[in-house]
Amino acid sequence: MLARYKPYLQLAPLTAVLLLFVAAPLVLVVVVSFFRSDGFDTIPAFTFENYHAILSSGLTASLYLKMIKYAAMTWAASLVIGFFVAYFLVFHVRNRNLAIGLFLVCTVPFWTSNVIRMISWMPVLAEQGVVNSALLKLGLIRVPLRILLFSDFSVVLAYVHLFTIFMIVPIFNSMSRIDRNLFEAALDAGASRLDTLRLVVLPLTKSGIVMGSIFVVTLVMGDFYVVKVMSGGGSASVVSAMYDNVSTLLFPPAAASAVILLLILTVLIAILTRFVDVRQELVQQP
Amino acid sequence: MNDETEPSVAPPQEADAAALSSGRRRLLKAAAATVGTALAGVPIAGFPQIMKRDFQGITLRHIGVSYAVQREIGEQASKDLGFKIEMQNLDTSASITRFVTQPSSVDIADMEGWQVKVAMARGLLQGIDSKKILEFDGILPIFTTGVYEGRKISRQGISPYEVMYTDGPEAKKIVEGQQQWLTFLPQVFNADSLGYRPDKVGREVSEWKDLIDPKFSGRAAILDIPNIGIMDAAQALESRGDLVYGNKGNMTRKEIDTTIDALIALKKKGHFRASWSTFEQSVELMASGEVFIQSMWSPAVTAVLEKGIPCVYAPVGIKPNGKEGYRGWCNGMSLMKHLSGKKLEAAYEYLNWYYSGWQGAYVARHGYYSPVPRTAKLQMTSAEFEYWYMGKPAAEIIKSDHGQPIGAVGSVRDGGSLAQRFSNIACWNTVMDENQYMVQRWNEFKAA
Amino acid sequence: MSDAEPIMRNSLSLPRSATAAASPPRAERAARVAGDVPRRAWTFYALAAFFSAYVLFLYGPMLCMYVLSFQGPQGALSFPMRGWSLHWFQQLWSGRTADLAGAISRSIPLALIVMAITVVFSVAAGLGFRRRVRGSSAIFYAVIVSLTAPGYILGIGIGLMFSLFGWQTSWFSSALGAHLSWTLPFGVLITFAVFGRFNGAYEEAARDLGASPSQTLRMVVLPILAPGIIAIALFGFTLSYDEFARTLQTTGPSNTVPIEIWSMTQNVTSPAIYALGTVTTAVSFLFIGTALAAVTLIQRRRAAAPRTH
Repeated sequence: MLARYKPYLQLAPLTAVLLLFVAAPLVLVVVVSFFRSDGFDTIPAFTFENYHAILSSGLTASLYLKMIKYAAMTWAASLVIGFFVAYFLVFHVRNRNLAIGLFLVCTVPFWTSNVIRMISWMPVLAEQGVVNSALLKLGLIRVPLRILLFSDFSVVLAYVHLFTIFMIVPIFNSMSRIDRNLFEAALDAGASRLDTLRLVVLPLTKSGIVMGSIFVVTLVMGDFYVVKVMSGGGSASVVSAMYDNVSTLLFPPAAASAVILLLILTVLIAILTRFVDVRQELVQQP
Repeated sequence: MNDETEPSVAPPQEADAAALSSGRRRLLKAAAATVGTALAGVPIAGFPQIMKRDFQGITLRHIGVSYAVQREIGEQASKDLGFKIEMQNLDTSASITRFVTQPSSVDIADMEGWQVKVAMARGLLQGIDSKKILEFDGILPIFTTGVYEGRKISRQGISPYEVMYTDGPEAKKIVEGQQQWLTFLPQVFNADSLGYRPDKVGREVSEWKDLIDPKFSGRAAILDIPNIGIMDAAQALESRGDLVYGNKGNMTRKEIDTTIDALIALKKKGHFRASWSTFEQSVELMASGEVFIQSMWSPAVTAVLEKGIPCVYAPVGIKPNGKEGYRGWCNGMSLMKHLSGKKLEAAYEYLNWYYSGWQGAYVARHGYYSPVPRTAKLQMTSAEFEYWYMGKPAAEIIKSDHGQPIGAVGSVRDGGSLAQRFSNIACWNTVMDENQYMVQRWNEFKAA
Repeated sequence: MSDAEPIMRNSLSLPRSATAAASPPRAERAARVAGDVPRRAWTFYALAAFFSAYVLFLYGPMLCMYVLSFQGPQGALSFPMRGWSLHWFQQLWSGRTADLAGAISRSIPLALIVMAITVVFSVAAGLGFRRRVRGSSAIFYAVIVSLTAPGYILGIGIGLMFSLFGWQTSWFSSALGAHLSWTLPFGVLITFAVFGRFNGAYEEAARDLGASPSQTLRMVVLPILAPGIIAIALFGFTLSYDEFARTLQTTGPSNTVPIEIWSMTQNVTSPAIYALGTVTTAVSFLFIGTALAAVTLIQRRRAAAPRTH
């Protein structure tokens, strides 16, 4: 019966794209990661020297620590913001059209290219910028705050600015599927709003939160140009180091670095999905 | 104009400079007779009418960084030549990667001198026949002979002269000394130094060590392209007297360590406000006043001036003690190996067009130089040429390419004349033998 | 979707809601939270303020950008303002410094195509994953890998692969594929989240009532999944339009918008990019406003029309 093959057919398009545009290029990347680089040449070989160099280098550790720090801060901020924004939109806005409208208002900035939006933070955070001018005028500070720009603060700020939407959308999705009856029932039963939040809403939004976390963490760990621009070149990231290697055609080390990052992130996400066991929720009993 | 009109003399086996040169002069006279009217002050639209028919339908893809591969130049070339020039801008890293991994998708590769070295090592290019380049004689000797104003051009770093010649049309390797075949044709070049805000700094800057002067702590910036930024750092350290480098363009591990460690120490003290990797960033840093002194590109200084903000390009001529000096760079066009037939002919037309003057005048107004000033001269007013190339005081208000005034009457271009700048080159943009080690240590500086 | 009714708590009456009558009885809790103050006021306003703060945060830099895009020819990318004019909008369209108009004409169709394909492939895959078929684990992990692979390196890999096969990279072949490799993981993961709550009973009911599989799909499954599908479409479009790292080496002979802007900043400092941001925002708002107005109109008309069942 065709029904038996239906799942295969349904999975086929996705599989085709993954094979051609992910699996095949990655095979190339893995192969190159075992090559040797000599000056500007890439010599086919089979050597672990690239991996060895990366894994034994202190630079690698400090880069990863930095990115993990950024990722953690961005995750925390975007989670808090994303959760409460979604909560507001789902449970407090009465008119459905208004809710959708407000939601879309949140997404409009994302249709302006990220590069432009990053650059547009400069006039806000600069010494002569909006924030400093306002604070000076209000008399809250005497000297312009230079820490606003080209620092860890500006990097995380940019990350939160650019990536919170990826937390809002899955959480919004999860929340909007919560049966309102549960809400009412809990309140009928005497639970406070806070308890309802903790015991009803949070567990049911878990998958959305995990989804959003995966997105945000992946985006931050894989970034190379936000950190370059917003830190004023003051920080490097794992991927920006790869970028520098590629500039002088040092492909094997860059490839090895890419494979290592890939493995680390994949393991991390695999663990996260176990927490919620996303696929378990999905699979029906045959 | 092309090989068909060349006198039928068997091409010399060895590149005898004098003989070639006189042969070219004859050729040039003949060519000048046909296009003389076009070049001498009459709009360039009259450029090779005869060629337009032949090359209909051909598209040349010219790829490189946006300060060398400029859209307006491509449009003008398309108009004049009759075939399409498709330009694409990528940053330095992405373009060299593209040349290496997708060579057949590029026709004209625009590269810096040091990138030519890399590309040649990979066998990506074909040799350019210098005999087909009409204005070859007009190219400044900086490139063709490595001697300028009686002095040998600095060999620290990778000077264009040392990578320019190759052994034949196959372009198998780089060859020292003048040859018939070229690896690339320089199209735009300049000398970089420091830029600073005279209103904030309060005095003249003419030494690299001012970049790391503690007085400017928190107000300095350095270039974040590893293989170039490290040379600026080296210039500063040598200027301060920390050490003397053997070859700033090819450092030993020990020299790299000393340089990077000094940079890290400065960073920890908060000396650097930022490091920039795009032109736009450098202009913004200076224009907004976040930074008072930084490594800077000449056109960036022009851009800041356009906004009505004072900015000076520090004249860091070589001092009697041998210190200081500019950092030179040069971008040029190379032919990818796969070009042949009609496309190859079109490519030569395109290369020749670059030396015919319009492009030279255009880049001059941005603060760059063309390797063939004598044709650029024909496309500029004499006051402009005097200002930009000869370093003379402006006889009229000097306008930027967009019509913004950037030089008042009587002002002198920073760094003086072309001759002054280029007889004061300390080093050229480069990539080192210890490149991998250097990139790693540079990243440690960034991560510090 | 039932409206979120404000809950009034007072000591006299139980909270009421439109569906209270339908909810099953629950055991009483021991403690009752004190408060004659209507809870709504506090949390609603707090959250509304929070939301407004977020919108301000989002739009803050954008507002600076809008203002700065109206500068005169001496304009820079930061304050103070230098002059007032439409100069930079003119620069934008004239394409003098960069081919932004051309890049837009590539980025938008590409993003739309990527959006459509992502939705179809993701939903199909979601349906396919419902049965534990052989290889579905492998595909799932491939999806994760596609998400975590550093975009810049993957882009180089795709470009190299195309070159090895002798194919030409272009924005609707290699860039399309690269973008899909980026958007599909988002789409598939969202589908998981959405399907996870999907009650198969609806499908069974539809079948019992005699609907064919395609009818079930069209009239039962997809409408229920609609919010998720819209989320996937939104992500698909935005991710593709903003995609930079993977596209650098796969875009072929012409640049997409992010690459064009990035390359532009190598050479010029131009408020024309701010003008682009202003125009994009204006167009988006126009688009959303019209769409929402249309939807509201349709809904009103439907509500006004006499019902037949």
